[in-house]
Amino acid sequence: MTATTTRYDGELLRGAQWRGRAFTGLSVAVIAPGREAAVIVPEVVRTARAVKVFQEEPDWLLPLPLPLPRALAVPAARLSLRLRVRDPWTRRRLTPDARFNRHRPRVDGRYYAALQEPHCTLISWPVYALVPGGLRSAEGIEHRVDCIILGTTAAHREDLLA
Amino acid sequence: MTTATEATYDFDAMLQTIKDKQWSLADIDWDAPGAELVTDEVRAKMKPFMADLVWIEHVGARGFASLAKKAPTPTIKRIYEYFHAEEQKHANAELALMKRWGMLDEDGNPPEPNINVKLAIKVLDDFGDTLPLTGLATLIPLLECALDGALVKFLLDEVHDPVCHEVFRHINSDEARHITVDFQVLELIGAGPLHKLLIESLALLSPQVVIGLIVVFTPLINKMRDNIVAMGLPEQKLYNAVKRFATIGSRGAHTSRIPAYHVLKAQAAMIIDRSSPYHRLLADPMVKLTSFVPAKVLGRPQAWVDELTHEPVAS
Ligand SMILES: [Fe+2]
Ligand SMILES: [Fe+2]
Repeated sequence: MTATTTRYDGELLRGAQWRGRAFTGLSVAVIAPGREAAVIVPEVVRTARAVKVFQEEPDWLLPLPLPLPRALAVPAARLSLRLRVRDPWTRRRLTPDARFNRHRPRVDGRYYAALQEPHCTLISWPVYALVPGGLRSAEGIEHRVDCIILGTTAAHREDLLA
Repeated sequence: MTTATEATYDFDAMLQTIKDKQWSLADIDWDAPGAELVTDEVRAKMKPFMADLVWIEHVGARGFASLAKKAPTPTIKRIYEYFHAEEQKHANAELALMKRWGMLDEDGNPPEPNINVKLAIKVLDDFGDTLPLTGLATLIPLLECALDGALVKFLLDEVHDPVCHEVFRHINSDEARHITVDFQVLELIGAGPLHKLLIESLALLSPQVVIGLIVVFTPLINKMRDNIVAMGLPEQKLYNAVKRFATIGSRGAHTSRIPAYHVLKAQAAMIIDRSSPYHRLLADPMVKLTSFVPAKVLGRPQAWVDELTHEPVAS
């Protein structure tokens, strides 16, 4: 149905290839779950002109390395999210599903702030294809970017890299 | 608990089909000839209808976002996340049609939702994520049957623009999958333990839910109903759409065990029957009352209402 057999022709970075790079003047898409995006996005936001974060699966984040058991770590992470993200719809999209998300909260103090930078956008629609010039997500829009960063999880998605 | 039903329906295969069938606004030539077939007369008549349609899809999208939060399995959750996006895609595509037909202002802003849509948005923002699964999972297929069976068919009868028909071939193929999944999930819920069904039904009877349904959805649906009938939609089509909800529901072995299904089926039957006292005693006064609600008291809606766009490509 979709004529999306051709490949993305911009710069494609996989896994850790984004490290140590400057993205000055570029628009960048990051495709990663929360635990990976939390590492990638704060760095990319520093230099890029515009960043779209395609984060479908959120994870809990703790601002400090607190020695808490899981039963306390999740409420602490929830409180941290509540305090650091004002917009309720953004907060909802950053809240993991308590039933299916089994990842431990990871320590990160920068992701939420980076997401709220004016040149950064959080997008939670499923990405279903890379196409020449950008990517397509299920809300029907083609997002054009100069560079796509696939986190470790996305770098293993055969449907995106076929 | 669900093995018997899951054996009869393969949600994983459905998820794969959904991924394979994705389409984009960028696939469509929005400047192709045919827009001139929408005459001034049709444009004036269809503009409020299209505005309502865009907002119903958008509110439906928000409904699937809430369903995703309570999906019984990770696969069904994933399906609902796709449906959330697809309903947004429908709203975006319909907005793009409005733009093509000159129904938007110069900046291409989405139309302002009417007060009943605003009330629905408010209720979804405040209670959407806390409504029990049974309630939402029953309400959504009813709305989808009505949308699909009556509104969209009406639109395609009235408008002869080939781009519109192309867009709705995509939308209808999505909707066929939505309705299939909607009813398969009802089967799954209905096959669950009775005590759970009863607990969820009692939760549905809590005052905030009952008041929400009466104050918000009764006038919302009734206003649409009267608008489209006034525009010339035969009442028979509405009747058929609701009959479809009852027919598909009765095909399943377990759906009829869900109390909410029977309540909504009965309410739907009253909605289509204009001579029912339901209209005189409840729905009509509600439409009137809500028309006096100043939008200001509802406060600012959450940011998802700003996600509509008619642009197929974003940079
Ligand atoms: Fe739809
Ligand atoms: Fe739908």
